[in-house]
Amino acid sequence: MSNASVGRRRLIPRWRVKTSSLSRRLRVPGTKRSVLRFEGRYNPKTLQRELILRDKKPLFWIVGLFALAVIPIAVGQQLVFSIFGSICFFAAINVFWTLIIGTAGLQSFASLATVGVGAYAATYLSITYGIPWPVMLVVGTAFGALMGFIISIPARRLDGLYYALLTIGISEFCRNYITQSESLGGQFNGALFGADRIVPEEAMQTTSGQTISYLTSFVVLLISLAIFRVVSGGRIGILLRTAQSSKEDESFASAIGIDFQRARLLVFLIASAALGFVGAFYATNQGGASLSLFSLDQMLLLLAMIVIGGLGKAEGAVVGTVIVVFLNQWFTSWGPWRIVLVGVLMLASVLYTRNGLFGLRQQLIEIRERRKALSRATRTTRYGAFLPEQGPEIADKGVIAEREFERAIRDQLRSWITPEIIEEHRLSPMGQHSDHLERILNYFRKQPISNKYVVYCEESYKAYRVVALSGIPGVPPRSVDDKTYSNLDEAYHAVFLRRINDLKSQH
Amino acid sequence: MIELLASALVLASMYGLVAVGISLTWSSVGMLNLAQGFVFTAGGYVAFLFAQYMAKNFSIRDGVILSLGVVLLGMLGSAVAGLVVGGLAFLPLHDRINFPVRGLIATLAISIIGTQLFMVIFGPQSKPLPQIFGIKRLKIGEFSIAYGQIGTIVVATIVLLLVTLWMRNSRRGLQMRAMMMNPLGANMVGVSVRTTGMIALALSGALSGLASVLLGQIFFVSPTSGVQPLIVGLIISLAGGLGSMPGTVAAAVLLGLAEAVTARYTEQSLVPFVQFALVIAILAFRPRGLGGVLEDVRE
Repeated sequence: MSNASVGRRRLIPRWRVKTSSLSRRLRVPGTKRSVLRFEGRYNPKTLQRELILRDKKPLFWIVGLFALAVIPIAVGQQLVFSIFGSICFFAAINVFWTLIIGTAGLQSFASLATVGVGAYAATYLSITYGIPWPVMLVVGTAFGALMGFIISIPARRLDGLYYALLTIGISEFCRNYITQSESLGGQFNGALFGADRIVPEEAMQTTSGQTISYLTSFVVLLISLAIFRVVSGGRIGILLRTAQSSKEDESFASAIGIDFQRARLLVFLIASAALGFVGAFYATNQGGASLSLFSLDQMLLLLAMIVIGGLGKAEGAVVGTVIVVFLNQWFTSWGPWRIVLVGVLMLASVLYTRNGLFGLRQQLIEIRERRKALSRATRTTRYGAFLPEQGPEIADKGVIAEREFERAIRDQLRSWITPEIIEEHRLSPMGQHSDHLERILNYFRKQPISNKYVVYCEESYKAYRVVALSGIPGVPPRSVDDKTYSNLDEAYHAVFLRRINDLKSQH
Repeated sequence: MIELLASALVLASMYGLVAVGISLTWSSVGMLNLAQGFVFTAGGYVAFLFAQYMAKNFSIRDGVILSLGVVLLGMLGSAVAGLVVGGLAFLPLHDRINFPVRGLIATLAISIIGTQLFMVIFGPQSKPLPQIFGIKRLKIGEFSIAYGQIGTIVVATIVLLLVTLWMRNSRRGLQMRAMMMNPLGANMVGVSVRTTGMIALALSGALSGLASVLLGQIFFVSPTSGVQPLIVGLIISLAGGLGSMPGTVAAAVLLGLAEAVTARYTEQSLVPFVQFALVIAILAFRPRGLGGVLEDVRE
């Protein structure tokens, strides 16, 4: 049996390559980033050059997004199209919201309101002035940026939960304003329809029209992910991560010359403009805007998506959206119970996980590491051959294994030492012995020569003594006591007793 | 003029009750209780069930006993709902990392679940509560004020005064104020964070239960009827300075007055706009609210 079945390292996919092809690497055009993070190394066993994929996330992204793009087109039903359309729409919003909460660190709850502002502005201008949909997208982006600017003013002075409260208030205010305003659909319970559409209304009845409409939503999701990647993974994201987790970090960041307030507001403005764009896209996709864009319930549902998926991560935002939207729109027959289920999921993820679904892996790894450390510590008390702290100091792990093995053997032999065994040896030190005694003697025989007890003959057949060898050539043995034995068997037995004594005291 | 003042004070007392509850929870427990809307609605439904029971079994439709029962049971129901929130969000989370944000999310989740459960149990229709102060009007010269308005103002004022006195003079109040100032220090000198926190949650629940019963006179009880008081309460406790009772009451009066004046002299649609302009103006000059004394003490 080989060691290959132990551990998980054998599961890591690896590619054998020629040495000449190692420096070639697929890069993102125009940058120095590599598309997939490969590590080139020599296999310690076969000594062959190989590549190991260190970051498998991009592969999961590609597979997941491909599935998201293909499934509704393959199924081709209107319900599935609408569910996946909602998934793309909400996922895009959540990705930008993650940018605001996670990267910028601003607890803003007005993201959905920003989307609504973009949608209503674009719809209103399209109805009043008849602007076509590409202009609507531009208008929505502009209004989103404007809204972001307005919301960001109090962010300079308020922090944390105070700001969260204020933004909840702002979105509630927007909703009230829309309901009361006559030009913005006060007559139709807040709904405002009749804007220019990307896919004309008649075409929405056909499968091809639905496909195109869905694909545009999917493209919006892709754009949102790209913006997230550029902003969060770029220079500004690194600057903000320095100042993220605590007040001390903020002081540290400003001490080394990072203007994190400016960076924060810049990210907030970018995300708000993008949210306005998503809103305008919603208007061009649905042909208008409705009040649900401002409702507190919808915002809570969005928050549930982010929390279930894991705060601060794009993958968390997308997967959380998939779960919640699917629950919400597929199981419509469950009535209010499906929202209860969403709430329970949200509560469970807050109570039991540190950061939602995508924080779970890190949490499990930490639990495993803790268990491992615990079991290592208890193992030490059993064998005690070496302390676990010493482990890293000894480079050759074979030495550790050998010491543990010797330790185990000593434990076993020690348990066999009984008065009967000693008596048996006293009666006949040489010759045939019982199995246990024979094994004990064999162990003594193969011990290293230094400090080994031997019989010293002072006078043949009359006087024998026990001495210990020095182990160094030219250095004479030292005497251990001044007892003399009259015959060889007694002397042999004395040596045996001394060795047994040493074995008992050794650990 | 008196009518205007009366309606302003009615609004102020309602908002004040909810906002003081939120403010109390935030400052002593350190958790923003967004399930206060659920707690609010729970009290209303308990009072409704009691009124229905009395009407069906004893055919009592008004009177002192019914009024007292409605008020007390509404407060009790909300206090129990507050304890439920505490058991689900405060007790398991209060000693974990990142408690403020996780507590906020947990209370939001409870609010979602609670609202939907009310929807399942009671249906989306609004339920009426009995008029506990009668429907007569008091005439002073040419003005007339409804008994309901007077009763609401008087009850809210008395209850808020009692709570203030209790906070100032009782041992529990002392413990709670100690926890507001420094939770760790309070814990070190023998104040149980868990017990005191649960009491604070029950108390703020009872206050919003009272507000719920009083508001039930004007608006009926429905699964989502807690949303509006929650939001206005949050905004008032924010403007009043989270953790400061006098500041919160002052902010409630200010916003109630603003709402009444705006609704009287302009249109109803401008009310939220004026309220927000007021709150933003307050926060622009005093970022920690009117009575904001806690500042960095909690950090």
